[in-house]
Amino acid sequence: MATESSSPANPPAAGGTPQNSAAEAVQPANGDKQDAAPQNPKSVFVNSEPIREDQVQNAIKFLSHPKVRDSPIFHRRNFLEKKGLTKEEIDEAFRRVPDPSPSAQPTATNQAGQGVTTSTIQPAADAQTPLPMTTVPSGGSPSMVALARSRFHWYHAVVAVGLLTASGVGTAIWVKKSMIPRLKSWIRWVVLEEKHGDGDITNIKPSLAEEAAAAAKSAAAAATDVAKASQEMMISRREEKVNMEKFMELLQMQVTEIRSMGNAIQQLEGRSDKIERTHRVEHGGYNGSIANLKPTYPMGNKPEIDSRSARSSSPPTSADQSAPPYLNSYMEDMNDQPPYASQQISNPRSAPRSKPWDGGYQATTTSRGGGFGSSLNGDRGSDFGAQNNGVSYQVDAQNTVPWWQKKNPRITELDYVEPKPGSNTVAQTNEQPPIQRTWVPPQPPPVVMPEAAEAIRRPKSKKEAAEPVTNQETSGGGSSSTAAVAEVTDELQRITKISESGGEVEETTAHSGGQETNGGLKLSEIEEEPVQSY
Amino acid sequence: MNVAKTPFNGYSVKFSPFYEDRLAVATAQNFGIIGNGRVHVFSLPPTPTGALTEIVAFDTADGVYDLAWSESHDSLLIAAVADGSVKLFDTNLPPPQNPLRSFQEHTREVHGVDYNPTRRDSFVTASWDDTVKLWSLDRPASIRTFKEHAYCVYSVAWNPRHADVFASASGDCTVRVWDVREPGSTMIIPGHEAEILYCDWNKYDEGLIATSSVDKSVRVWDVRNYRVPVASLNGHGFAVRKVKFSPHHRNLMMSCSYDMTVCMWDFMVEDSLVGRYDHHSEFAIGVDFNVLVEGLVASTGWDQMVFVWQHGTEPRGP
Repeated sequence: MATESSSPANPPAAGGTPQNSAAEAVQPANGDKQDAAPQNPKSVFVNSEPIREDQVQNAIKFLSHPKVRDSPIFHRRNFLEKKGLTKEEIDEAFRRVPDPSPSAQPTATNQAGQGVTTSTIQPAADAQTPLPMTTVPSGGSPSMVALARSRFHWYHAVVAVGLLTASGVGTAIWVKKSMIPRLKSWIRWVVLEEKHGDGDITNIKPSLAEEAAAAAKSAAAAATDVAKASQEMMISRREEKVNMEKFMELLQMQVTEIRSMGNAIQQLEGRSDKIERTHRVEHGGYNGSIANLKPTYPMGNKPEIDSRSARSSSPPTSADQSAPPYLNSYMEDMNDQPPYASQQISNPRSAPRSKPWDGGYQATTTSRGGGFGSSLNGDRGSDFGAQNNGVSYQVDAQNTVPWWQKKNPRITELDYVEPKPGSNTVAQTNEQPPIQRTWVPPQPPPVVMPEAAEAIRRPKSKKEAAEPVTNQETSGGGSSSTAAVAEVTDELQRITKISESGGEVEETTAHSGGQETNGGLKLSEIEEEPVQSY
Repeated sequence: MNVAKTPFNGYSVKFSPFYEDRLAVATAQNFGIIGNGRVHVFSLPPTPTGALTEIVAFDTADGVYDLAWSESHDSLLIAAVADGSVKLFDTNLPPPQNPLRSFQEHTREVHGVDYNPTRRDSFVTASWDDTVKLWSLDRPASIRTFKEHAYCVYSVAWNPRHADVFASASGDCTVRVWDVREPGSTMIIPGHEAEILYCDWNKYDEGLIATSSVDKSVRVWDVRNYRVPVASLNGHGFAVRKVKFSPHHRNLMMSCSYDMTVCMWDFMVEDSLVGRYDHHSEFAIGVDFNVLVEGLVASTGWDQMVFVWQHGTEPRGP
């Protein structure tokens, strides 16, 4: 099982296949309309493809190779997975390989709905006989041998006799042609040797003297070479010494410089906070090695950072004691364990919020998580719900809705209660009790562009102004209809254009939202299913 | 448009599912190779341009590679730490009272963590020790361990529609789809020829999953027919570190890469690249969509910067 053992090979495979095949049988159409899935306890995304016999055969050949047999099972499985075999196919291949005899194929019948079980036996047998590496001779081969033996008697005898005679004749001819001449020439060579044997001795002596002279000369030459080489070495050593001394002087100078820098930094450290630690990392970390004044990080060098080798050493917590001295400046020796052994996890302050892809809009549950403090909380309902480029922040003058909230129409839906007189204490219907926060949000900025405010006011006159909105920008609309929202969107479009063009009021009528900003994002309608087209 | 600089190199950024102006950033010292780590919790300012304000920060003994907000508690954070521990932080409590829990079960670095968005009671962690572990906040030990991958597991992602299904991406070049009710993986997708660094489910189509890989491509797969990818998106110059589907649009996705850019894609369109942001000056490692605010995205990278901007606008400000 994947939970326990580390080799998910044969033992769980046998258990896994019937289960998986049951799953396949249950889910023929594999995950298309899985809304009915809740009744189905089996998994949603399962391979429903039938087992591909050719892939299984390839896998069997692969697994039967002697080199592969030496590798651990884990690697073999991973290789097959990479080649695109499904789990069932891999399990089937593993099952077949150590047991290749066609008689021992009961598992072939286990294939759920795969059919053609008999055909699997035939190719399995055929695959085995050509392979020389099968350990156990299959049941097929003895029968073949027996078959051959029945015809052994006369045919084989004839062939054997013929071969013998041919080989005899061949050897006779070969001996005549090659062996005898060789013998003769050898005899002649021996005879000749005896004749010339005396003449060789006198030639030896003069050559000895010559050789001695030559040797003496070469020895002298070698000696002179050695002397020259040793002289050169002495010279180079002297030069090196001089260079070393110069180098040492330079190093000393640099050491003193660095020490002074370190002192300066320590002084600075006294004033600032612990961010200085990183400065030390850059400057003072290398106390010992002067060669790297700037530590060489692997910047610009783009190796596979994700490889294991970068962090192959033991975890730093244990390395604290054995780390080289300069590492102390990198790592604070910190204890990051939980201070309380069993600290209670406090209850959440806000309810979980539904996701946009879950469809619909949150009716009652979610609040805005009153983390803000009232001034920013106050005007959730005044969301424009349109896309913008953030420039429209200037527009919501009195309104303190943060700039990032513009794109969230459903909030208007939810939290819009009353007209916003600009005060910050709005009775939110779903708001949780305000939470004490030490962070106080900044005050909202004053009206920047009175023309914009004017423009905002104008469209309100068009609609039946049920809500006495006076000086506010269009809030999320008193109604929760899409039409209102869309209109608001359009208004915002106009307004952004206004503010962008520096006060020039456009008289364009509403246009479909969302087509002018970059990326062409479309506004998401809140009441409908969020089926987005792009 | 909103920017913050963290003292350590950024690894992951996640918006809170409860507060649309809150996000958390996981950072690690020295690019995560050695040193401490820190989890920052930032708040967006009311102005479109301006620095993020830090609400609280938690230090860890080793780098933090990933984090996940709890879907059940508005103030809880799960951090995946490089020393193999999984830590639980409460942003309402001061740092001396944190972490609430530290689960030490993985034998190697924990590289990914994801909280179940439908059941809201459990989370999974992915580790370089080839295993994926399932946890619950109220249990002191992991509920299950899934050990099938042959190499480091880099990321896990819950399916947004099926509460028991999740996927894992691994350095053994496969993506596995798991079901917590099943003993083993239910599907193996040999997605790329190189290591797969991240996977994410489509929020609107339950069977689509996106993978990003060292081979510089992002591929979208349909698990109902996984032999051939639905789309293969090329355009990054180096390995793609993360890919995320938009929570508001079916076809929109975002990816970040070692080529220091963040790209937006529409995989149903012929020319899929719809946006490219190169505001980072080092590897871009983390990206996230804001679930509550449409179009708001954040990214972080090894240049110690965190950017929050509206898709379609300039991240560094007008």
